[in-house]
Amino acid sequence: MGYRTIDHTADLALEVWAPTQAALLAHGARALVAQLTDDATIEATAERHVSLSALDPEDRLVVWLNEVLFMAVTEGFLFASGDPVLTADGLDAQVCGEPHAADRITSELKSVTYHDLCLDERDGGWFARLIVDV
Amino acid sequence: MSKLKFQQLDDYRWRIPREGKMRVPGLVFASERMMRDIRSDKSPEQVANVAHLPGILSHSIAMPDMHWGYGFPIGGVAAFDEQDGVLSPGGVGYDINCGVRLLRCNLTRDEVAGRLDDLSLALHRAIPSGVGSRSPRRLTEAELSAVLHQGAHWAVDNGFGRAADLDVIEEGGRFRSADESAVSDRARQRGRPQLGSLGSGNHFCELGVVAQVYDDEAARAYRLAEGQLTVMIHSGSRGFGYQVCDDSLRRMMKASKKYGIELPDRQLCAAPLQSPEAAEYFKGMACAINYAFANRQMMTHFVREAVAGFVGRSQTSLGLELVYDVCHNIAKWEEHVIDGKQRRVCVHRKGATRAFGPGHEQVPRRYRKVGQPVLVPGDMGRYSFVLAGTEQAMSETFGSCCHGAGRRLSRAKAKKLASGRSIFRELQDKGIWVRSDSKRTVAEEIPEAYKDVADVVEVIVGAGIARKVARLEPLAVVKG
Repeated sequence: MGYRTIDHTADLALEVWAPTQAALLAHGARALVAQLTDDATIEATAERHVSLSALDPEDRLVVWLNEVLFMAVTEGFLFASGDPVLTADGLDAQVCGEPHAADRITSELKSVTYHDLCLDERDGGWFARLIVDV
Repeated sequence: MSKLKFQQLDDYRWRIPREGKMRVPGLVFASERMMRDIRSDKSPEQVANVAHLPGILSHSIAMPDMHWGYGFPIGGVAAFDEQDGVLSPGGVGYDINCGVRLLRCNLTRDEVAGRLDDLSLALHRAIPSGVGSRSPRRLTEAELSAVLHQGAHWAVDNGFGRAADLDVIEEGGRFRSADESAVSDRARQRGRPQLGSLGSGNHFCELGVVAQVYDDEAARAYRLAEGQLTVMIHSGSRGFGYQVCDDSLRRMMKASKKYGIELPDRQLCAAPLQSPEAAEYFKGMACAINYAFANRQMMTHFVREAVAGFVGRSQTSLGLELVYDVCHNIAKWEEHVIDGKQRRVCVHRKGATRAFGPGHEQVPRRYRKVGQPVLVPGDMGRYSFVLAGTEQAMSETFGSCCHGAGRRLSRAKAKKLASGRSIFRELQDKGIWVRSDSKRTVAEEIPEAYKDVADVVEVIVGAGIARKVARLEPLAVVKG
């Protein structure tokens, strides 16, 4: 399980990998929060339930990460961990994170985009490439 | 590295010939030297991808500040036929109506010499800036609704600026198709606390000086003279616009499927211009356009208050009049002559500026003889340009021009290059005071991260799609 940032002229490109698709969603959310906060340690002191619908697995990844971003920028809730359960048309997740932490955000991310988006199974695990508009 | 073929047409123009399912060729404005950078990223593929969209007219165009974006390239222009064409949120971007405005001041550089340290601080204090920056004015839901429908007019009516400002804003500072019923609660939630704030990244407020005038007639019309101070503000629709864009994409992906539009990139999802899905996006986009107009208008007021307070003179005696306000992330209906016929088309400009030529009725009367002012900011260490739109732009680029220098380095590379250096000190040694809450933003925005905007402008002027009017040099810069 891991992630790395790759060079993109104007925006932020992320590659994320994990053993399962659900783990990839959780790890992608952590990667996004790490980018938002310059790798701050996030205290998991509050819980939230997230339920969302999506058109397909790639859309689910983007919608989920944008939900994590929305919670961070509007309410200062920073995702720390969670176990998304994939459903036929989206996901359900109980997530833990740090509330009221807007002042920990050091970078503005506008949105996770669909450009050059990739989500697939490879080498016995799951891999995603994402471009985030900054 | 781009695999696409380029045909060089002249010193400034390159054609990407049609291949596969491209409906029109690509047309890139660039010098031979710039093409080396352009070929090395994915922006040429993005130009070609845009050419796949139904109803695209003439060319998929890219300006010399082009670089790899998402969906459309940054620096992309495309016009679509009223009946057969499409509307694509990816051709507008997340920061809807990100744009630039320029104010002129009656002070000269000499009058603030030796005081830029304090003046830059005063500007930094006056303009909410940085990540998640918030408005000093808490908007009620009813006020937000008024902003979304009235744009800069709301700001002026509420004490932020002057009625005369409205005459020199693209669209008069109010986009008329706005309808808040197309806007989600999430967009409202994201946008409500932020009106009148700069944001972060490449957004800025810059006190500058007119270093050189190239075109006396146009400079007189724009009332710019050498040695005079100016203020440039670059910002957009903040979280409101990002959310409007985000909300629209899923609807547009469904619409693309419904109407059988083949997409080479999902971010280019689109709906036919005559469809209800396009109408819905247009209404929401218009709200974001108005939000951005009001946003820049409020910051204009903050700048006037700060400068007047600092020098101890009235705002009116200082001038600080608005020269112009341009949008560079937008889609709109315009009339253009194509193959000798006047047609109504939907022009998408993603990181490109409208540049209407002399005589056009949408150019403010006082500028009509010389053409619309086109504001082209450079990086924070070199210079920016004021250009004027031309007839050539009307006939070749749907009245469009470049929007800035264009990034050359990724943020990671810029930070690496800035590491171990004091960028603040380096710029101060050049006489430029930079203020920011974030060292990281300043490192990511170092001058070397950008193309030299003079090279970009040379291509634009060489190709004839704008005329050079003046060069501005920075003195004090507030970065987000």
